[in-house]
Parts: sequence; structure tokens; C-alpha cells
Amino acid sequence: MALLEVKNLDVRFAVRGGDLTALRRISFSLDKGERLGLVGESGAGKSVAAFSILNLIAKPGYIAGGQILFEGKDLAAMSERELRKIRGNRIAMIFQDPMMTLNPVLTIGTQMVEAILAHRKISKKEARAIALDRLQKVQIPSPEKRLDQYPHELSGGMRQRVIIAIALLLDPEIIIADEPTTALDVTIQAEIMDLLLNLCEQENVALMLITHDLGVVSQVTQRMLVMYSGRIIEQGPTREIINDAQHPYTQGLINALPQMGEPGARLFQIPGSMPSLKNVPSGCPFHPRCNFATDQCKRAMPEYVRSGNVDVACYEVANLIEQEKRMQEAES
Amino acid sequence: MTSPLVSIRGLEKRFDLSGSFLEQLRFEGGRLRRKQEAVHAINGVNLEVQKGEALCVVGESGCGKSTVARTVMGLLSPSAGEIHYGGQRIDNLEGKAALPYRRKMQMIFQNPYASLNPRMTIQQTLEEPIRFHHPDWSPVQVRDKIHEVMHSVGIDPDWGSRFGHEFSGGQRQRIAIARALAVDPEFIVADEPISALDVSIQAQVLNLLMDAQESRGLTYLFITHDLAVVEHFGTRVAVMYLGRVCELADTKTLFAMPRHPYTQALLSAIPKLEDDRPNHIRLQGEVPTPVNLPSGCVFHGRCPYANERCRQEVPQLIATDGGAQVACHAVEEGRL
Repeated sequence: MALLEVKNLDVRFAVRGGDLTALRRISFSLDKGERLGLVGESGAGKSVAAFSILNLIAKPGYIAGGQILFEGKDLAAMSERELRKIRGNRIAMIFQDPMMTLNPVLTIGTQMVEAILAHRKISKKEARAIALDRLQKVQIPSPEKRLDQYPHELSGGMRQRVIIAIALLLDPEIIIADEPTTALDVTIQAEIMDLLLNLCEQENVALMLITHDLGVVSQVTQRMLVMYSGRIIEQGPTREIINDAQHPYTQGLINALPQMGEPGARLFQIPGSMPSLKNVPSGCPFHPRCNFATDQCKRAMPEYVRSGNVDVACYEVANLIEQEKRMQEAES
Repeated sequence: MTSPLVSIRGLEKRFDLSGSFLEQLRFEGGRLRRKQEAVHAINGVNLEVQKGEALCVVGESGCGKSTVARTVMGLLSPSAGEIHYGGQRIDNLEGKAALPYRRKMQMIFQNPYASLNPRMTIQQTLEEPIRFHHPDWSPVQVRDKIHEVMHSVGIDPDWGSRFGHEFSGGQRQRIAIARALAVDPEFIVADEPISALDVSIQAQVLNLLMDAQESRGLTYLFITHDLAVVEHFGTRVAVMYLGRVCELADTKTLFAMPRHPYTQALLSAIPKLEDDRPNHIRLQGEVPTPVNLPSGCVFHGRCPYANERCRQEVPQLIATDGGAQVACHAVEEGRL
């Protein structure tokens, strides 16, 4: 059984003039110790997906259907009280901006001890010892001193290390990291990603990494999901998707990267931009920007087809697979 | 070589932190002392931008790259040094004398959500610079010009009566580019013009900037932290660290053979699609504060090759046999 299994999750936002569907029939699973990447552009719904796992979507958002099974129990149906025992304890989150997540008026030590005492019945002294141990794990220079410092006394990279230390405090099963390095410089980003990867491997923690950076996904994750307009359009092993993307959107995303083009030549570009939730196109939401779109694509959302180890939601890919099958049959 | 279009000579910029006279007073060792502090944002930068090229300035936050852009544009006045445009010194010009240069030099900013006036329609936004620089133009001429630039950046001229908030991020950045192009500039300073945009939109805007360069013969000073963009877009690259240029080279040369230890670390830190694990050169520590600059080479505290000379003496940009200019004692001495 998978550690976390999300089945047909629907998330909507109740706004004036009717509900907006932010996530539509999202299904994926995460095994123990596995690293999964969630990729997409802004507005694709990747952060909503991450937040909804811990039922953290604020009103007017709500889970309209589907299940989030963590060790067999449905998080979507749990009471606030039960959820609180899981949040931060069994499933930890790391957010994009470390300055927003740390309380500016409390010392690092106070914040860490507070998090431990919320879940464990131990003395403050013991909690402080755990906090110190985690700060050492994230390789912060002079960790004893940091416990008594305030967030503003640390640099951006160091703050994100503290956040990772806090996520590790209670030995979680899963860490959900929402764009953990977007606010940081490239050299610091490389250090933090390296650290996160090593810690997840050492402690056998599963990682759900949300990012828009395909390079980071390729370095850190084993499997990936590509999201577009609230749907998963492609999912499978990271290497397979990066090397041979099937969905036209994923192909476009990869080919639009400057490193894929000949220097000085025009880059491949996907025309248009991601639709807003208010007017999601009918059928496949990508069809107005897709070079392969047919009438079929405008009518209904394509079902997933399997190509290698990758699941893709695209009629064009389905047709190609169908053709290949027929060719093989004809040959034999 | 022909004379450069823009040349930056010995540029320095400090931002005073210490406040008014009374705020500077400190009581130390039984005596009242006056203490002044400043952020040393740029510390002696020399750059020349040749006509028709795209010179990229890269570096991490706090390295002074945006300050260079703003000082070149005259949005900040330099603490020391000179800016020359087409052979004429422009950093000390004021009012009417500066006007022709303000038309020839235009700027594109990072955040298109902040750089467009939310209370102006697109028509008004584009009209303003044209009317200001060409007060003698007839309304028909102005309208034709607006249509021309809107068309060239891929924005439907019929959308002129809309406001900025009605457009997506990529479209807003196109409008910001149209505004810069409206007065037919020769030189464009682009300060991180695509870093606020999504990947697929970044490609659209980069293509647009390259098309404009080709059709209008523009020269760019392109500020960015994204080295992948530089490799694609830049003619030459200047790598900055703590207010100094540590390496200046042709894009091809720099990416094929980075010489400065900082450039090497920076290049190795870009996550690449073919990597299965992060493999970057580890640097010790973090960027020091620009308030108290390290002595000697600003990079020595994090450099694995630093020796006594690096701690004492500031390295100058020196041409190497590969064609790059590198400010590093280790490279100069052949240790690296």
C-alpha cells in the first residue's frame, strides 16, 4: 500500500457567480521514501494540490470530492482535531518564503521547542536537545548560538535551513516542499536542494517537491507530475518524462528552456498563456495553445493512456499509440 | 575596434546608512564619536557596451547588478566615476541637456505589475513618452506610432483602451517593452525583464527582445541572475560579485571555459535537465555584507584557492590567453 494515495481529488473555490474548479480529478500516490515532483506554471494548481493534502486550503476553497488516504485513513474526512495530530508531525511542510514562515518576534529555539511540545509530552530541556540535533543535521554553523537568535539575524539561505530543521523535528513520514528555493540565489539553491535530498535519503522521508524548475525536478525527484489548469496531464518516472515527454505541453515547457535552443536562435514558444479558472476551455484545457488540437480535443477531456511507464492525457498521444499497435499487428 | 556606445568608467556607488548627523553619534570609550556606515553597492566597475551587442550582467542578489543598470540610466547618480554615451559624458547632465539621451536610452523593469500605471489605459501609457519627446508630432503621427509598436510586440492595437490589470503578466511585459520602443531608442537597459514570468512566457518575451534587436538594431544591457538565459541571449557576459566585475568574456568563451572560481561555482549551480543529482562546486559560507567589504579580493573568504596575496591585494581585470578578462590572482599567477 502506498504511504499517501490521492484519489480523484476535486477542489473548488466558492465565489460569487458559482464555483471555480481549481483541481479536477487529481490522482497520484507517494511511496515511503519516494521523491515526487509537481511541475507546472503559475495557476496550474500545484500549490492548491499541496495545501489540500493537509486540508489547509482556506475559505472559499473546499474539497468537493475524492479521497486523500494517508496510511489508509482519509485526511479529507478527518476532523480538525485529528488533522492537527498529523500536520507538522507525520506530514511536514516547507514553504517558499522563509521570512513569512518564521515568527519574527520569537527566537529560533522558542519556535522549535513550541513545535515539539505541541506533539510530544517531554520537558523543555529535552525538546531543546532535539532542536539542537536537527540544526546540526542541516549543517548550520554554530547551532547553539542560532537557538537564541531571531530570524532577522540569519541570511535567507540560513533561514531556509532552519525551516528544514523545523520540518524534521518530529521525524515526519512526508515532507511537502512548496517552491523551497525560489526566493534564493542559484548557489544557495544548489546547497539547499542538495541538503534536502541527502536528508530525505538518510531518514527515508518521502518528499513532495513543488517547483516550476525542470532542472531541479530532474536532479531531485524519481517521479513527476505535470499539471495544467488544475489537471494532471502527464505523470511517470522523471527521467523518462524529461528525456521523452509525451504531452505537447510538457514538450513545449522543456523546449522553451533557453538551454534547449541554439544560442542566439529563436526559442521554441508555446503561444498564449495559461487560462484563468474563470474560463477554462472545454475539453482538453490545453487545446487553444496546442499545435495538434483537433475537434475531438475541444469536446471532452482525454482519458489517461500509458506510454512506456508514463500516463498521459492526450488524444494525439493515444492516436499515435493506437497507430503503432496497428502497424505492429499488420507486420506480424 | 570602434568606440563603444556606452562606457562605464571607474563607477562607484555607495548608499549611506548612517542617517542624519545626530543619528551618527555614538558614545564609545568615554567619548562621543561620529560613525558613518554605507553600503558599497558598486566598487570600481569598468564596462564598455559595443553598438549592436547584448551585454549581460549576471550575479546573485546584492552584487550590484541592478545598481549598475540604474546608474547607467541616470536614475541614481554615481558616487564616483563616469558614464559616457556615444563619447559624451552624461552622468553630470541635467534638465534639457539630458533630454536627447533620455530618449535614446530606455529601460525595461522586472515586474510588469509594478511598472505600468494602473490608472492609465495602454493607449495613455504608450502615448506619454511619445508626446513628451516629440511635442511637435500630430495626433495622427502619435497614433500611427502607437499602432506600430503595439503591433511589433504582438499586442492587438484595438486593446488600447484597456487598463493594465486586464492583461496577463506576459502581455504586461510586452506593453512595457512597447513603451520602451515607442520613442525609437538605440540602447535598452533591461533589468531582469523575464524573471517574474513563467517558463513558457519567458521564451515568448526573450524571442520578442531578440526580434526587436534584429529589426531595430538595438543595443542591450541585460541584467539577470539566470545564466541559462545569458548563454542564449548574450553577446558578452560580465559576472559581478560584491560590486566588482570578476570576469568579463564572450558568452561562448565564458560558458566553455569559466576561469574565475566564482564563475565556475555559479555555472555549476544551475540545475541541468541531464543531471540525476545536484553536482555543484561547494563554496564556504555566504556572500559577505557590502557594508564592511572584505580586504583584497572580495571573494577570498569563500574561495578554495585564496592565499595571502588574495587577502591583501585587490585583483584587477587582466586579459587571459583564452580571450576572457579575469580579476583573480590565482589565474594571473597560473595557479588556476
